[in-house]
Amino acid sequence: MTPAQIVVTIAGLALSLFIAWFFWFAPKAKTQAAVSASGAQEVAVTVKGGYTPDLIVVKAGRPVRLRFTRQESSACSEMVLFPDFNQSAKLPEGEEVSVEFTPDKPGEYGFQCMMGMLRGKLIVE
Amino acid sequence: MIKDPVCGMEVEPSSAFATREHMGQTFYFCSQNCVDQFDADPHKYAMAGSSTTGYNPDLPLARIELPIVGLKKNDRAQALEGVLQSMPGVRAAKINVGSRTALVEYDAPAVTIDALSKAVKLAGYRVGGAQTRIGIADLHCASCVKFIEDGLKATPGVIDATVNIGTQEATIDYLPEKTSLPQLRSAIEEVGYQTRSAASDEPEDKQRAEHEREYRRLMNKFWLAAAISIPVLIAAYPKFLPIIRDWPMETLRLAWGVSALLTLPVLFYSGGHFFSGAWAALKHRSANMNTLVALGTVAAWLYSTIAILFPSIFPEGTSEPFYDVVAVVIALVVLGQALELRAKGRTSEAIKKLMGLQAKTARVIRSGQEIDIPVEEVLAGDIVLVRPGEKVPVDGLIIEGSSAVDESMLTGESLPVSKKSGDEVIGATLNKTGAFKFRATKVGKDTALAQIVKMVQDAQNSKAPIARLADTVSGYFVPIVMILAVITFVVWFDFGPQPPLVFALVTSVTVLIIACPCALGLATPMSLMVGIGKGAENGILIRSGEALQTAHQIKTVVLDKTGTITKGKPELTDVVVVGEWQENDLLRLAASVERSSEHPLAEAIVEGGKARQLNLVEPSAFEAVPGHGVIATVEGRRVVLGNLKMMQRESSALGNLEAKAAQLADDGKTPMYVAIDGHAAGIVAVADTVKEDSAEAIAALHKMGIEVVMITGDNQRTANAIARQVGVDRVLAEVLPEDKAHNVHLLQAEGKKVAMVGDGINDAPALAQADVGLAIGTGTDVAIEASDITLIKGSLKGVVTAIEVSRATMRNIKQNLVGAFIYNALGVPVAMGVLYPFFGILLSPLLAGAAMAFSSVTVVSNANRLRTFKPRFSAK
Repeated sequence: MTPAQIVVTIAGLALSLFIAWFFWFAPKAKTQAAVSASGAQEVAVTVKGGYTPDLIVVKAGRPVRLRFTRQESSACSEMVLFPDFNQSAKLPEGEEVSVEFTPDKPGEYGFQCMMGMLRGKLIVE
Repeated sequence: MIKDPVCGMEVEPSSAFATREHMGQTFYFCSQNCVDQFDADPHKYAMAGSSTTGYNPDLPLARIELPIVGLKKNDRAQALEGVLQSMPGVRAAKINVGSRTALVEYDAPAVTIDALSKAVKLAGYRVGGAQTRIGIADLHCASCVKFIEDGLKATPGVIDATVNIGTQEATIDYLPEKTSLPQLRSAIEEVGYQTRSAASDEPEDKQRAEHEREYRRLMNKFWLAAAISIPVLIAAYPKFLPIIRDWPMETLRLAWGVSALLTLPVLFYSGGHFFSGAWAALKHRSANMNTLVALGTVAAWLYSTIAILFPSIFPEGTSEPFYDVVAVVIALVVLGQALELRAKGRTSEAIKKLMGLQAKTARVIRSGQEIDIPVEEVLAGDIVLVRPGEKVPVDGLIIEGSSAVDESMLTGESLPVSKKSGDEVIGATLNKTGAFKFRATKVGKDTALAQIVKMVQDAQNSKAPIARLADTVSGYFVPIVMILAVITFVVWFDFGPQPPLVFALVTSVTVLIIACPCALGLATPMSLMVGIGKGAENGILIRSGEALQTAHQIKTVVLDKTGTITKGKPELTDVVVVGEWQENDLLRLAASVERSSEHPLAEAIVEGGKARQLNLVEPSAFEAVPGHGVIATVEGRRVVLGNLKMMQRESSALGNLEAKAAQLADDGKTPMYVAIDGHAAGIVAVADTVKEDSAEAIAALHKMGIEVVMITGDNQRTANAIARQVGVDRVLAEVLPEDKAHNVHLLQAEGKKVAMVGDGINDAPALAQADVGLAIGTGTDVAIEASDITLIKGSLKGVVTAIEVSRATMRNIKQNLVGAFIYNALGVPVAMGVLYPFFGILLSPLLAGAAMAFSSVTVVSNANRLRTFKPRFSAK
């Protein structure tokens, strides 16, 4: 092996490990839902290449209101789905759309765009 | 405070300048001028400025039905009732927990809807109502927002109003019984703004417009990339073109430099969304298709640029650029996205068709006048006039006239249905022959059509369990592809042929570009969208992707007898006579007696008599003998109708009638003896008859390899008679209603997927117990809670079509999923170069770009193929 090959091999391995860590194992920031005056747990979510925030923590048994605003024209993100709650909403560009439901059981529930390219998670405690 | 209907000024009722009564409503005025204007045309102001309610305008008290949100079935309503009743000016308040409404009677000027709404809120509930959006022209100052909002809130009937300066629209929650659109508009205009219609109330239209914009944007990007690709390709492959192949190295290097600059707009304009998308995803520590395309193209561009700028740092022969990869791949992927968008638009055609059914205007009768109004303004309680050839605008009950109505668009029933006074009409159906008036019962989002649209949309956007695997895979897919690209680079660099750097780069870029997570993600939702829409077109409402998926595995169908296989209503079937009696004479006497009875069997005999156009007369001395029958005098004759016990009581000799009766009973009919003036004269028999197409539908189910079971609370004899007529395999008779669910469970225990078909009310537990519950809905009652699938047409053929739709859709989904998995499972290794050591085949990144772009188009197109699905029992 030439020195160049050794360098490339080691760099490649390191890069692979980094990719795996970066996407799967690195801890992600969680956002706790604020409780509004009406008693609902509210979070504003921006949709642009992803959901910001994408990890939302709420309490079980209380209504949750997620206010989505889509700030891009890409058709991928035009819907948001909560398959576990059988909820979905169309997100017209630039318009705030609320998705409301009450999670009863604690657990982790994913939400996503129609094709699953954008993903987020609702953690019910 | 209350509003002057002419100028809109707020007036204290006690200190008003003048008052006027019009259509049972009191109006208060601020000045002589306003009164004069009002007197000149009271109707105009009364309609625009006050409640154009469909509810008793003559009542002295204002009376309103407020929809209450948050009221649960088992809530104690007294608290809310108490709160409302304690309000000064409220005379009575009654909560109906079932319909989730509060009926409030109040003094109109003293109590406002706003106050009622606040009181409801205090009690922990919310007043529901209609919502509308009105566009406001040239709204620029943020402080004016509050004026408009206050103006709207002061309008009677408005619960809440918010103005969005961004969208230049007001969103208003209001009670449609208490206000109308012109009134809301005039409230805004009074503040000094012009109103216009809101952008569009239909999210579908909005989405279509968005798609159109996005499509044009993508096509612009494509044309730029395609145009630039041509010179870049020429410079990239000089040896294939005359003249250019003779260019000296210096000229070529210059051409490459120009390529580097030319591809920049392709990267940043045509491919800009890949980079912004990739960056946004990266910030969320996630990766998607954008990441792959962005990485692949930027790697190619960077390598090429370094190669032409510093050729000396690369080994001999590796300093060649790949600008063609950048331009062509971006052009192809963008084109693929545009085509995909086009094809996607077609998948929701069913919904567009459904919404297009809605009538645009309605002719209602208000205060004795016929007026044409937009269908959105029709109120529950309005009297609506429909002429031949017109669409029925909303749901309601006919109060006058009769006609034949074509309901095929909603129910799939091809023959026009005859309607008379008291019958239900459904909005969006087509009136054929006669004119009629009906009272609107359901309007706006409560109409059957609106509920169907909502149900179908929800179902289309739900997930089928089969999609879970694809979803899980696509969650890990992109990072895995990135790691594979790195490994490919290393392996080709370490073990590949000369020049290793070029091979390593080209193969790893190809891997990044060929992988298509989109095809995986699109596979299920696209087919589901088309399949569920197809069901709706055929009168089958599938509630979710899960229901659709389970339906294709059904092996046993359990049919409830009454109302499902049969019409659910007894009909006269036989008239048997003895001696000189004529059938019609006997029936006329029997039917005349039964006119006084309220028993459903009696009704069947009366209907049977009317059907034969017999002249029925009023009986006298009517007497019902419980458990026996009835006795009455008709035209001086003593007529006795009843069972065997009745005949014994009357000591009428039956002769061979007893044998006839036994035979009729064997056929599942209910025979009744008729004795006239003490002598047995004959038998009338009634039965719940089988629907015309039940046998055909059951035969079709058999052909599909499905076992058909009938379940009924009737006795074995009746059940068997019906079973013979329609040809079911198994009969579960004498099953108590509460045991139906248990019987379904027993069938499931045989290891089969069981579907239960019933009417949705009595059969709710059995429908819920079954793997798939199919409810037969009729008329406007479409959103049946307990069912997974609702058959709008009351025919068993719908069961066949539902299973067919489900099978066709699942087949399509499987094709898509298998296709997408195979594409990626083959494409990625080939791009890595696994074929190279054996056959010397290496995939060009240009080809990879084309493959990736068209794989997702293929998935969407395959889903669109489902649109040609034709059920066995075609509705049209």
